[in-house]
Amino acid sequence: MDYKAQLKLQALLDGELPDGEASAATKWVARDREAASLLEELRSTRGALAGFEADVRLPESREFFWSKVEREIQRLETPAPKPARVSYFTLVRRFLVPASAVAVVLIAGLMLIPPAGSTGRTVAAEIETALADSGVFTYRDYSAGATLVWLSYPAEDEAAEIDEMGTFD
Amino acid sequence: MTVEDHSSVDDQTLVRASQRGDMAAFEELVARHRDRIYARAYSMMRNEEEAVDLSQEAWVKGWQRLAQFHGESSFGTWMTRIIINLCLDQLRKHKRQRAESIEAMDEESGGVERQMPVVTVNPTAGLERGELRQRIDQALGQLSYEHRTSLVLHEFEEMEYREIAKTMGCSIGTVMSRLFYARRKLAALLADLKNRDSV
Repeated sequence: MDYKAQLKLQALLDGELPDGEASAATKWVARDREAASLLEELRSTRGALAGFEADVRLPESREFFWSKVEREIQRLETPAPKPARVSYFTLVRRFLVPASAVAVVLIAGLMLIPPAGSTGRTVAAEIETALADSGVFTYRDYSAGATLVWLSYPAEDEAAEIDEMGTFD
Repeated sequence: MTVEDHSSVDDQTLVRASQRGDMAAFEELVARHRDRIYARAYSMMRNEEEAVDLSQEAWVKGWQRLAQFHGESSFGTWMTRIIINLCLDQLRKHKRQRAESIEAMDEESGGVERQMPVVTVNPTAGLERGELRQRIDQALGQLSYEHRTSLVLHEFEEMEYREIAKTMGCSIGTVMSRLFYARRKLAALLADLKNRDSV
């Protein structure tokens, strides 16, 4: 029996053959023992599977399973928190703080450069940046006896504002 | 509608209530159909934990897509299609992650099912229900996912060849070949299990 004939037998069992072909196949099975035994095997396999799923039960209690489904539904339905909006004033200040710090460093640097035609006397001055805190600059001019400390921390009211708004992205 | 009311109303009413956001109504639908959905997932996946997870995912998807359900089929059938699609996606992922199964190679290299001797004695005759279930379970586990799914969709979901082909994204001819192979292999495996038990 060729493969096509075998598939035809299966289609007969599954009711997938058109009426004309089905009656021809039925006649063929009646006179062909090989075809009849293959059809019988297919039929008994089908019979063995019948009702197989009926005994399969979800291995979790109704309450537990539902609690998982419900939690997941609620999780997916909770809108994601919107990113905090940053005010224009805060943005400007966030730009101004480092910009001002850079400006101070530049000014201090210019003060250290001896003017043209000067005697070449070494100016006793230094700029310190604390390693632990890059937001602090200290400028000391020993000759003038002056010390300038620049703190680039946000002001207290700005810090409070940031806390209220959450994290910036 | 109270929780007690839910148990006495039909699926259609529960679906309408769920579509309006009534989660208690949806819980009743879950309770009614959860075993069927899980059974389908288990037949396809052959793994209890995965079948539970996919069932849960199917119910969440069911809730999210309730607005798309217009009653063309029963609610149970609609949910079953969701779980079948989830399982197929998962099985395809598995397949990508591992080499082709021996069964699939057999099928491609000429179809061993054509040469298999016909099992003349019913290998499941005289078995108790529990024993029969265990043997079928074991035999189904030895089929590749393509063969097992074709069989599950045809025998348990009662899909026609055309529907199986559409669901699995293959031709009707392929469905017929897979189904034929799966049945013949299953018969041989069941006979083999019977022979081993009798030795």
